[in-house]
Amino acid sequence: MKVLGSRELLADVLAKELCIGCGACVSLCPYFKSYNGKTAMLFPCTQEQGRCFAYCPKVEVDLDEVSRTIFGAPYSIEPLGRASSVTMSRAGAKAPGNNYQSGGTVTALMTYALAAKHCDAAILTGREGLNAVPAIVTSPDEVKNYSLSKYTSAPTLAAFNQAVDEGFSRIGVVATPCQVLALAQMRSNPMDTKDYSDSTSLVVGLFCTWSLDYRAFRKLVAGKVDINEIKKFDIPPPPAEVMEIYTGSGTIEIPLAEVRATVPNSCDYCFDMTSEFADVSVGVVEGRSGMNTLIVRTERGRAIVDGAVKAGYLVIEDMPAENLASLKTAAGNKKKRALKKAMGEGIINTSDSCRALFRLEKNTLAGI
Amino acid sequence: MSYLFDTNEGARYLMMGNDAIVRGALEANVNVASAYPGTPSSEIIENLSKASLKRNIYVEWSVNEKVALEVAFAASIAGLRSICAMKQNGVNVASDFLLHVALSGTRGGIVLLHCDDPGALSSINEGESRHFARMIELPLLEPGDFQEALEMTKWAFDLSEELRSIIIMRSVTRLSHASGNVTLGRLGEPEGKALFKFETIPGDPDSGPVITMPVPPHHTILQNKLKKAVAIFEKSPFNTYTGPEKPELLIITCSACNLYSREAVHLLGAGNRVGILKIGTTWPLPPKLITRNLARTDKVLFVEEVLPFLEENVKVIAAETAAEVGIKKFYGKNDGTMLTINEMNPDIVVDAIKKILSIEYTSMDDGYAKRAKEHLAALAPVRDLTFCPGCPHRASFWNLHNALELDNRRGFVCGDIGCYTLGFLPCGFSTMKTSHSMGSGIGIASGFGKLTQFGMDQPILAVCGDSTFFHAAIPALINAIHNKSDVIFVLLDNSGTAMTGFQPHPGTPLDAMGKDLPIIDPADVCRSLGASVEYTDPFNTEETQKKLLALMEEKGARVLIMKQMCALSPEKKGKKMFEVRVDQDICRGDACGCSRLCTRIFRCPGLVWDHERQAAVIDEVICAGCGVCAGICPSGAIKKTEAAR
Repeated sequence: MKVLGSRELLADVLAKELCIGCGACVSLCPYFKSYNGKTAMLFPCTQEQGRCFAYCPKVEVDLDEVSRTIFGAPYSIEPLGRASSVTMSRAGAKAPGNNYQSGGTVTALMTYALAAKHCDAAILTGREGLNAVPAIVTSPDEVKNYSLSKYTSAPTLAAFNQAVDEGFSRIGVVATPCQVLALAQMRSNPMDTKDYSDSTSLVVGLFCTWSLDYRAFRKLVAGKVDINEIKKFDIPPPPAEVMEIYTGSGTIEIPLAEVRATVPNSCDYCFDMTSEFADVSVGVVEGRSGMNTLIVRTERGRAIVDGAVKAGYLVIEDMPAENLASLKTAAGNKKKRALKKAMGEGIINTSDSCRALFRLEKNTLAGI
Repeated sequence: MSYLFDTNEGARYLMMGNDAIVRGALEANVNVASAYPGTPSSEIIENLSKASLKRNIYVEWSVNEKVALEVAFAASIAGLRSICAMKQNGVNVASDFLLHVALSGTRGGIVLLHCDDPGALSSINEGESRHFARMIELPLLEPGDFQEALEMTKWAFDLSEELRSIIIMRSVTRLSHASGNVTLGRLGEPEGKALFKFETIPGDPDSGPVITMPVPPHHTILQNKLKKAVAIFEKSPFNTYTGPEKPELLIITCSACNLYSREAVHLLGAGNRVGILKIGTTWPLPPKLITRNLARTDKVLFVEEVLPFLEENVKVIAAETAAEVGIKKFYGKNDGTMLTINEMNPDIVVDAIKKILSIEYTSMDDGYAKRAKEHLAALAPVRDLTFCPGCPHRASFWNLHNALELDNRRGFVCGDIGCYTLGFLPCGFSTMKTSHSMGSGIGIASGFGKLTQFGMDQPILAVCGDSTFFHAAIPALINAIHNKSDVIFVLLDNSGTAMTGFQPHPGTPLDAMGKDLPIIDPADVCRSLGASVEYTDPFNTEETQKKLLALMEEKGARVLIMKQMCALSPEKKGKKMFEVRVDQDICRGDACGCSRLCTRIFRCPGLVWDHERQAAVIDEVICAGCGVCAGICPSGAIKKTEAAR
């Protein structure tokens, strides 16, 4: 993996508006800070090689190398990535509350992971107004306060870095695909740190088609709804083509085309809909509002899911074949769209003298 | 400074030019002195304020130069003698009033003393105020040495009373701040009773209302005054010629350039070939005197600083008298012999004379400058222009910079005049993006804040010091508030006119003479204008940045007062708030995760890089103990503990 410094990160990511504000470079040093969902570089740094560049999911990502770290195998041609099972799931009787985006699987899993001491801290993302704000959570009872989708991009990994700095060593993280990719890069020890140990014990990846730019979204919503009154956001399945915003005094709808206009450019280059480098990935099931799709990818993911089921936190059901097929189509389409765009701009597998967005084996790329 | 009040006539002292001016004013029995501070003029009023303890003089640090001149003018038309001091660009501020004073005329002797700063040693411009004399039609005097600084000041009051006109006198940095031998004259007892007479008709110079209308007759009176001045100047002892009767080269010079010219002629041993005509009365020029001296030779070299003021005015006379004195070969600014920028010095004059007269002369061999530079590099470290240790401006710009970067919308700061003008440099994290005249920061920001209709969505901030606030920022702030401009006005309140030496201003409790005055609180002023006002201590970096970020989310004119006393202020100096030390075992130094933030970016001179230990260390001798660096260290290696009081 090619590792450079903050100067290159500034040129390749921040200046090109490819930064999604995942927070991977934040809380490591005094130079990168997150504010309103965006990452800012306060001052230039002189390091030739830095963790900021090494962890960034938007520059010089070697997908095969990352995949080998997580799965012991190169990047998969499969639309859903490497998966040991794809099922439906929902929160079980032991899971807290009922205020879920859909099936409550993430809340159930994280509550269980903390309660069963599988994790010593959970990195979750809450919401202040329209702003997605990460937090380090150690009490299983608090996990439910972070349920529901946020939609605006979040510096979740800034809280992860902070948790590592504070000495947590079995950290559970709930993350979007870009954040999961950054985490996977961190876990591949790209700086060859001596005595490196993986501080994560569970990575729960979320399905994601895009996130929203906080400022742009706020501008869109301004005047339409009292931000402090917002209870929940949802995007019902097609053909609705709207975003629903639930408030204490009713629901308002914003045309999806207007919402999409606030998606940062960066999301156009994202090939990953299902958080392919997570231990487990969770999303919706089309037409089944009370259920989630649950993809188990790794052995430790499997262990936690099994434990959660056994302890009554989670309920698993088989996934109907047609749902699986349409999920694969959607994931495949996102992948093809992103790769086509990146290839068109010549930023995949570039020559050594030129930095790439990401790299992967030629045949895999051709296969996709 | 006891020599300023020495009654021993004929006593001789080594005296700074500005002190010689003060002594001249005292010998002229000046009653009222006013100024707005500005290097290199500030010592004049400072020393006159000391005189106020011994003599009946009213001394005032006025809110700005225009008001200072108005205050001095009131004394004049009440029959008293007054002096008003300012730096070169202060004349621009006062110029509107000056234009009208020229027309209205004066009564008691009044002198506008401006100190120009060729080379901009302490300025952000190289303005030439001499041109106001020609433009506004007022007499201009330029002392050519330290003795003349005294004599000419004294005489300027008499001349003012004789002409019933304000007299402009110009000094320069190297005259105001350099020292020379000065023989004292008689120091009398100040007298004069103030009474403004207005009972007769307008235009009566002694007892009419003082107005400029009707203008054409007043203008005629003004021009007649200049004619009278010419007649006086023809015989003035301040215009001197030294040299052979028929020199090969005639130098025409004025001000400090007189000294450089004399030194250059001396160095070249060219006293028998070069004559020096030193003009003390540079506007209006006495044509007969000029003609008489032009007739001495065919080659003329002008030695003056910055623009060709003397040169062009002499050329007009030369053209008009060409039939009489012949065609001259002129050397000066216009033919490129001399530069129209920067300071003059003896070497430049030597070079010019060498070329004109083909004299072989080497003052220093070519390698000298190089060797001197090498020696210097070995002995003296490279120093940036920077803020002092513990300066609140460093913390303020740290907060401004970080908040603007975090906000991430390419926001910027419009700057103003004070120590914080350095905010455009790395010591201010290059946060300031415009810098012009006093009060212009908020004025420019007010304009930027109305460009939203053209798509501008960058946050716009203006910084301004407390003294500058009173000087010229208030009208611009009113403009911003009234026009609903989207700006944040940040008042960097360090409780004094710090840059020029802690002169009082309307926000401070003492006047120039040490007497109590009511404080005018800038916050009250801003609130009364309808702005929301918030306070923050820039040393509290977290809170300050939070407030800035929150303000940047709002619209309209907002005011944030960053209040922290200057590290050098007499009230604070020497008192440390914190003892600060670096735990070098924790310091990450050059490694990823720090990359020397404190010594590479924050760069307080109190923080030093210990090359041996590869870690930061505090220079305890100069550390002011503000404790700000403890908060910026990413690894918590900089420790602060409250200092014992």
